[in-house]
Amino acid sequence: MLPRTVLVAGAGLAGARTTETLRAEGFEGRVILAGDEPTAPYERPALSKGYLTGLKAEDELLLRPARFWKDAGIDLRLGQRVDSVDTSRRTAVLSTGEELAWDALVVATGARPRSLPFRAPRGVHTLRTLADATALRATLVPGARLAVVGGGFVGAEVASTAAALGLDVTMIEALAVPFERTLGPAVGRLLAERYRSRGVDVRVGATVTGFREDGSGSLTGVELAGGDVVCCDTALVGIGTAPTRDLLPERPSDRLYACGDVTASGGHWASAAAGGAAVARRILGLPPAPAQPSFFWSDQFGLRLQLVGETTRATDVRVDGCADTFVARYHDVRGRLVAALAANRPAEVARLRTELAHGPKTEAERRQDRLVPAACAFL
Amino acid sequence: MYRIEIDRSLCSGFGICAELAPEVIAVGPDGLAVIRVGLTDDPAVLEAAESCPMAAITVVAENAA
Repeated sequence: MLPRTVLVAGAGLAGARTTETLRAEGFEGRVILAGDEPTAPYERPALSKGYLTGLKAEDELLLRPARFWKDAGIDLRLGQRVDSVDTSRRTAVLSTGEELAWDALVVATGARPRSLPFRAPRGVHTLRTLADATALRATLVPGARLAVVGGGFVGAEVASTAAALGLDVTMIEALAVPFERTLGPAVGRLLAERYRSRGVDVRVGATVTGFREDGSGSLTGVELAGGDVVCCDTALVGIGTAPTRDLLPERPSDRLYACGDVTASGGHWASAAAGGAAVARRILGLPPAPAQPSFFWSDQFGLRLQLVGETTRATDVRVDGCADTFVARYHDVRGRLVAALAANRPAEVARLRTELAHGPKTEAERRQDRLVPAACAFL
Repeated sequence: MYRIEIDRSLCSGFGICAELAPEVIAVGPDGLAVIRVGLTDDPAVLEAAESCPMAAITVVAENAA
């Protein structure tokens, strides 16, 4: 039986896409979308890209025009976090104190940035929300010194933006190269080379042991194991996220669904969007849409990186190209393509996705569709 | 009839649209989606729009008056 009321907790991309899909598939019951942020659902990826540089204004980040939600009959509750749920009575209490009844509950509460286990003085930032980005943006003034802790995508994009704005940027990476675990050492070396060529001081194999502050409690530096101190005015800590699981019960519950970063599905835009749509289809009893390879992109230091598929099962990486433009192909132990990363090769992406979506190719098959000959060898 | 629009500033070249609705959408030489026919009765465009990971495709149903 179809629910009469669907309550979606969390108004990020996954939650928003759930409600949109419910309506697009003809659901006529009540749809409530409640989130703790004061802004209508927006594009989080732009926070570390165009919004930080000032190219994109706040209203250009919105996923949908402001009137969309009302027109679609979606009851959007901004600044109203779902604080608790009762799965036996099927009720929820909002941060305003209001109690709501639901027949289906979608937990799309996202994730919070991880922080370092030290007291953070003023000037230490994380980046997840529009408010975080607005606070960080105010510190990105030419000549200022920025330390980026963690060589992940958010950190790299902020480093890129800051370097272009004329800041003095240091990246602090615990592993031997940035992205060593996610993209592999060969790609990591290419990216580190790119960052250095753009004036970033990339410190690898570096462990943060604490922050330094002045008498007024403002950040003056980041301390590294071994005694080095990276002097800075601002630090961005980009060491990953932890799912906001507060509303999820210990055991699966009837008519309770989850999607997006709260499911720790990789923290990627496309997986959150697909997850939201998939949950809406499950609620309505519709068959799942065909699965697509996961997809992610990042703009940094003049590179558009586009990643299709999952690198986690890769045991072998082959890179064609150089630090300005390359394609990395990731294979599993049996030689099957499991992921591909294109750097400034947008025209390759559709073909790589097709290859990933339509069955594994063997080594012999792959030889037949060699990539464009490499402009310069690497490795 | 369906009128389709593609926001090329959002398009990231995933290419699923061109595969699902090849009569209507193609991947251009720059790797981004291009519209082949702006007005169509091919329902595949609905699936193409839904499958776009960037939600870059808008489909508006128009009365064939």
